[in-house]
Amino acid sequence: MSGGRVRVAVTGMGVKCPAGTSVEETWATVLAARPTAAVVPELAEAELPVRIACLVPPFDWEPYIGRRELRQIDRTTALLLCAAADALADAGTADGVPAHRIGVHVGTGVGGLPSMEDVAIRHGARPAQMPVHTVPKTMANSPACRLAMRYGFRGSCLTYTTACASGTDAIGEAARRIRYGELDVAVTGGVDAPVTRVVMAGFARMRALSARGSGPGGDPALASRPFDADRDGFVLGEGAAVLVLERWDLAVARGARIHGEVTGYAATCDGFHIVAPRPDGATAAACMRLALADAGLPPSAVGHVNAHGTSTVLNDRAEAAALARCFGAAAPPVTAVKGVTGHLVGGSGAVEAVVALLSAGRGLVPPVATTTAPEPPGLDLVLRAPRDVGRRPVLSTSFGFGGQNACLVLSPT
Amino acid sequence: MTDGRPPGREELVRVVREAVADVLGIEPEDITETTDLAGDFGIDSLELMDVGARLETALRVRIPVDALTEATTVGRAVDLLRAWLGRQE
Repeated sequence: MSGGRVRVAVTGMGVKCPAGTSVEETWATVLAARPTAAVVPELAEAELPVRIACLVPPFDWEPYIGRRELRQIDRTTALLLCAAADALADAGTADGVPAHRIGVHVGTGVGGLPSMEDVAIRHGARPAQMPVHTVPKTMANSPACRLAMRYGFRGSCLTYTTACASGTDAIGEAARRIRYGELDVAVTGGVDAPVTRVVMAGFARMRALSARGSGPGGDPALASRPFDADRDGFVLGEGAAVLVLERWDLAVARGARIHGEVTGYAATCDGFHIVAPRPDGATAAACMRLALADAGLPPSAVGHVNAHGTSTVLNDRAEAAALARCFGAAAPPVTAVKGVTGHLVGGSGAVEAVVALLSAGRGLVPPVATTTAPEPPGLDLVLRAPRDVGRRPVLSTSFGFGGQNACLVLSPT
Repeated sequence: MTDGRPPGREELVRVVREAVADVLGIEPEDITETTDLAGDFGIDSLELMDVGARLETALRVRIPVDALTEATTVGRAVDLLRAWLGRQE
């Protein structure tokens, strides 16, 4: 910590993702490196070339969302509201914080696009008959604004859309609002529910998705394998994670349990290609360095890296290059959660922040699922079993289409 | 309504109750003609438009916005609908 700066505590966490519908269930699945990819019947029926995805396991919506509200929101917003309810319950009540000092900062890659796809398919021929709630349901800021509405939060309510970096950017920008004195509490995270026929087919047309596990006799569990020499693309997933960030002194004063601290954040853009990362990883490495500098930490202070690691040939190679540029020969151990969860687009950065913070706090780094032969070979990937690295800060990276780079530094208490 | 004749009051009450119940996520039995949609359920303008869209589909009529915003109770909505349907004949 640099002197005099406002510190940002993480006091609440909630997760609804393929690895689990609670924080601890998610942690257990990730620690056990159990892949969650499976054939999705609706995609198989549509005879899509790629028909596997990572979905949130069924859970009871009833305690979270009533029938009336459920009719007005889509799956994306619903998942965010559920994760937020868990995170706020986990944080406990911050009584006395005025509503205008509580903000909502949410990242989403495609927002309401999947529900607009549904409307277009069902009502495209007769648009005049589309549901009244179509616009409020599908607008990109709907998840964040529904969340603010539900609890009456009156501070800044912002939606970040930086593709696969959305969740990470939202958390970093939210932390800044607290540091800069604008907010006392920020409810922040990321969400996407993009597993639909059109979105899946779109990614498949780019050959961005793994072709494994979709054909007869294929095993979906082998598809997502971050940094493996045999990787052939990512597996699309859905989910949400929400963190409650709080001004450190307020959290301490009310005796809140503090999970850890958001100590650093930075964002850069490749300015290079609309989907391919810069192969030399230079701008991604710059982002890593800036995030560490923001945290006031040297690279040697990092205990491990929670990598973006999508399991695409191009991302993982560029990310490995970036890690080498940032850390040199003394690179810390690297893990990647997407071997278990698949790629939740805007949800991933937030789920990974939760896992990264738990890892940092517990000193235990989960292994990368499925991967056996690291590429490049020099990368110190955590494989097969969790690794004890002590309770040290973690660098969590996200890189998105458009050349979006975002990194968080999260530190244990 | 298959015979092209305007629906009777009882039929209209049933259609309105079903539309309102669906929009509010409750059962039709929870709604009577005196149910105050705003006071009892806090129905908002968007939900009223949703009720209107359902009634338009069920009754195959075009309902003006004014008729919807004045429909503060189910009974009132039915009266407005009857007046409106009568005018269309």
